[in-house]
Order: sequence, then C-alpha cells, then structure tokens
Amino acid sequence: MAPIVQFQNVTRRFGNTLALDNVSFEIDPGTVFALLGANGAGKTTAIRLMLGLDSPDSGTVNVMGLDSAQKPLEIRSQVGYVADRPPLYEWMTVDEIGWFTSGFYPSGYQAKYDALRTRFDVDGSKAIRELSKGMRAKVALALSMGHEPPLLVLDEPTSGLDPLVRREFLESMVDVASAGRTVFLSSHQVNEVERVADVVAILLNGKLVCIERLEDLKRNTTEVVLALPNADTKPPQIPGQVLAHVPFGHDLVWMVRDLDAAQLLNICRDSNLPSPVIRQPNLEDILLAMLREYRLPSRPQEAVTIN
Amino acid sequence: MICHIDATNGVPIYEQIGRQVTYAIANGTLLVGEHVPSVRELATQLAVNPNTVARAYRELQQTGILTPIRGTGLAVAPTAPDKCREGRRHILQDRVESVVREAQQGGLQLDDFLKLVHAAWPTSA
Repeated sequence: MAPIVQFQNVTRRFGNTLALDNVSFEIDPGTVFALLGANGAGKTTAIRLMLGLDSPDSGTVNVMGLDSAQKPLEIRSQVGYVADRPPLYEWMTVDEIGWFTSGFYPSGYQAKYDALRTRFDVDGSKAIRELSKGMRAKVALALSMGHEPPLLVLDEPTSGLDPLVRREFLESMVDVASAGRTVFLSSHQVNEVERVADVVAILLNGKLVCIERLEDLKRNTTEVVLALPNADTKPPQIPGQVLAHVPFGHDLVWMVRDLDAAQLLNICRDSNLPSPVIRQPNLEDILLAMLREYRLPSRPQEAVTIN
Repeated sequence: MICHIDATNGVPIYEQIGRQVTYAIANGTLLVGEHVPSVRELATQLAVNPNTVARAYRELQQTGILTPIRGTGLAVAPTAPDKCREGRRHILQDRVESVVREAQQGGLQLDDFLKLVHAAWPTSA
C-alpha cells in the first residue's frame, strides 16, 4: 500500500532556527498518526509543508502521491484541515459558511456539513462572530469533513476546549478512522493521543526522534527507578537501550527500551545496589522523559534516537 | 454494556475492554446470544482507536467467548458464562497476587494482611 504521506529528508530553516532537520517518515493509509513534541518542535511547520502552505528548503513532501511543493491546490482540495486557530469569515452565519464552502467541493458536501453541524449541536442561524471557541472549533471540523476527505489533518484540535467538545472531536476522529480513512493529529493532549493513535511520532527541536506503533512503544519501553544509597555509588550499566536518564535527587530514573530485567536485577545484586523499581510507563511518562533528556545540555542528541 | 477506559493506567486498552466484556458476561449483564456493539460503535462510544476494539474482540473470539453470527456481528457464545466466571477468577487472582506482593514488600505478615481483608469484607465481621 502506497503511503498517504511521505516526508523525504525534509529540512526547513527559519533564520538560524532549524524547524525541521532532515526529517523522513511515511504514514500508511487508514492510520491514526499522532505527532507529539514540545512547543516550537516543528509540528505546525510539518503540517504547513504537507498542505503546501510552505515549501521545504530541501527534501520533498508527498501527500496522496502528490508533491506538496508542486501541487498544493490539488492536495488542499482533497484533504480536510483544522488549523490551530481556524480562520473563519466572521460575518457569515454557520449555515452560510457551509453553503459558501460547498461551492469549492463536489455535490453532497453541504448535506454532509449540515449533518455534522446538527450532530455537533451548533445553531445554523448564528453568526460566526457570536460563537464560543468550542462552537467555532466544531464548525471548523464540520467544514473540514464535509467532503469525506481521505486524510484529515488536525493541528492541536482540542486545545482550550471543554471536555464535552474534546470528546466529540475524539469521537469524530474515531469515526473517520473506522471508515478506513487517515487522521494526522498534532497534539499536546497525551492522554487523548494514547486512546486514539495507531502510530506516534515525536519531534524534538526539529528532529524526529521516534516513530513507532503506540502499542509497541509502550510494550517495549520500561521505566527503571533506582535509589542510590549515597552520592559516591556508581550507577549500574543498564542492559537495554537508554532513551532517557534523569536524576531526581537520590533517585535515578531511566527510560529504557528492550530492557533485560533479569540481567538488571543480577547486576544490582552483584554490585550490592538496592533492587530497582521496574514499571510500565504510560505515553506521558515516555514523552516527558524524552523532553527532559533533551533539555539536559550535556547529553548528545543521538542518545535519544530510537529508529 | 458500559465500559470505562483509562488509557494511562499501564493496562493495554484492548485488555481493559476484554476484561470488562468478561465481567459483564460473568455478572449476567451480557447474556448468551446477545450481541456486543460493533467495532465502530464501541470505538466511538469509548473514543478509542477502532483497531484496539477489533483486537479485543479478536481475542475474545479466539477464547470462544464471542462468536460471529453470520451477517449480524458478534454475540456471546453459549459456553461463555462459565469461561468468563473462570476468567474473572483469574483476573482477581492476579490482582490479589499484586496486593500480596505489595504487602510483603511493606513487611506485613500473613496475619496482619488477613486482618485487613476481614476488615474490608463487609459480612465477615
């Protein structure tokens, strides 16, 4: 199956800042793909490049087999996109903006838009400028889904929304995914990502440090906590690939991939260290460890690279 | 059937769904022959990835708890209640074992631990 989104060695620089640094990845159709990372990590830049709203300095971005630098309009007419702060015509009503937008799409758009608007419980006669943030977000989502796009791109769709609206957004994403279509989601709501994502990718300062199926990432990653008896004790060599290693006072915390737990227990016993606490981290623990690791200036970036 | 999912508690979501279906059948909330929601319905209701629900259902089918009814979806198999009561016992056993480990790490003796169990058990006083 041809990938629906493909980044090949993409670099984008703004002045001295590397927003994306030689990023390559692919997304299979039918996947819920979640892009995580700190603010300013390059997530929005990646989305703008996909939609052809911006061009890479080097490398190529393909969406549905189209080069986004060459065919931005073709791509944008097919995908659905909800921006971080969706720009809408303030003076139109909710019904009018649906009617207006339907002019850009094949027939059937307006009926689908109306159905979504009704399901989201948005009053069609209200002017856009009178809408709350949550209502605006729902209008933007309904507009982006009216043509049943094969790829739905959501840039932090639920930030600042109340729990009920967030839930409705999640349900819509699940609905799109159930129909075998692809969702590209950039989010800081890690617990939401953990519910809905098939694949997660983590961007840190423009570098892609992880792209993996969520269930594999969670299954193969282990958190090890070891309380050292005093400051002179040398920490043990961890049997496994260390993704992050952060000290908390006397406690040392490692986020480890493919940990050999039995060997670690042996090592600790042989060097008279207390037994470590080993637990399965959730996605937030993994992400936080990577973000913290990255902030520590002394460690090389490569230490956190997974793939 | 109402499921409650906690994505962050370390138990994989498909397993949480599997457990709750098992409990619902063991309790008699779901009866033999009754249909479970479709993958799409349950995924939307729980706001979880449809592949996750599909995986949970696949495993329940493999253990013979759910059975496909041609053209209409998955239903509770005739032998499911017994299997689910057994399954519930296993799930409970795992949890008791983990509490016992915690008690041992905290230096509790069996007597002390049983006192806690008796105190928590409403009718045993």
